[in-house]
Amino acid sequence: MMEKIQKVMIVPCSGIGKPYGSVSREAAYEVTEDLRPGQTQLIPLALLVLGDEACRSIVASYPAVTIDGCKLGCAAKMVQQSGGTIAQEFAVLDVYRRYKDLKPQGIAELNEAGQKLARVLAEEVTTVVDGLLTGNQGGENA
Amino acid sequence: MSDFLETTVDKFTFKVATDRFYNEEGVWAKEETGRVRIGLSDFVQKRSGDVAFAEIKPAGTVVAVGGEVAVIETIKVNVTYSSPVNGKIVEVNPAMNDAPEAINQDPYGSGWLAVLEVLDWEMQKVKLLDPQAYFKIMKSQAEEEAKKL
Repeated sequence: MMEKIQKVMIVPCSGIGKPYGSVSREAAYEVTEDLRPGQTQLIPLALLVLGDEACRSIVASYPAVTIDGCKLGCAAKMVQQSGGTIAQEFAVLDVYRRYKDLKPQGIAELNEAGQKLARVLAEEVTTVVDGLLTGNQGGENA
Repeated sequence: MSDFLETTVDKFTFKVATDRFYNEEGVWAKEETGRVRIGLSDFVQKRSGDVAFAEIKPAGTVVAVGGEVAVIETIKVNVTYSSPVNGKIVEVNPAMNDAPEAINQDPYGSGWLAVLEVLDWEMQKVKLLDPQAYFKIMKSQAEEEAKKL
């Protein structure tokens, strides 16, 4: 019998200074603080980059959903290098292509469209999280 | 297969295909049996970043040298590009609708923008930059960009 997944790690990119990076982090905060607190945990990419043992250990223990702001895919790469399992990779650009009217702008503070895009993304991430927690989805690298 | 001139500036390597001509913006033009295919150089796509949307003037549009032929929206900027030739657009890359990232992935191949019908390619190409001339300009532009980092 498969062990039930208790928690999902949410790993946004650290594209500081870029609107798409800000959208990824806003979405991650929304999932971990508002939509599914307790069932998800935010993983700071910087800790993975630094090789923080506690952080690497937790990433290796639970499935992760990564949210990248650009095609470099730093969040996904770092989860893989840390021995984690990516249940789903999200790219802000892919979501934006589906919601062209929500062009993110601003860095320290996202514009309204960027905030809406982050909410849309957060909802999509939450759907994946729910699927993982109920055993209806996930486990494979997207 | 194209041959390339290459230069590395900072951590980035930029390629210039040697089988086509360029305008100063980095829009390339390649003659193909009476027609001319156009696209963006490797330097242009790297400098602009990941492409979100590419809007190319539709087939049937007559464009003049310097006239708007495409607007590219990337994660960094919106840029309007000018046609390197006079002619009529007869084909737009269908990938630009649903997979414009082809511009980033293969700027000299599957990431082409459009094909134009031109009447006097031999006359027009002398006004464009050959690969060596564009390479020199591109390298200078890349070095300027690197100073901003």
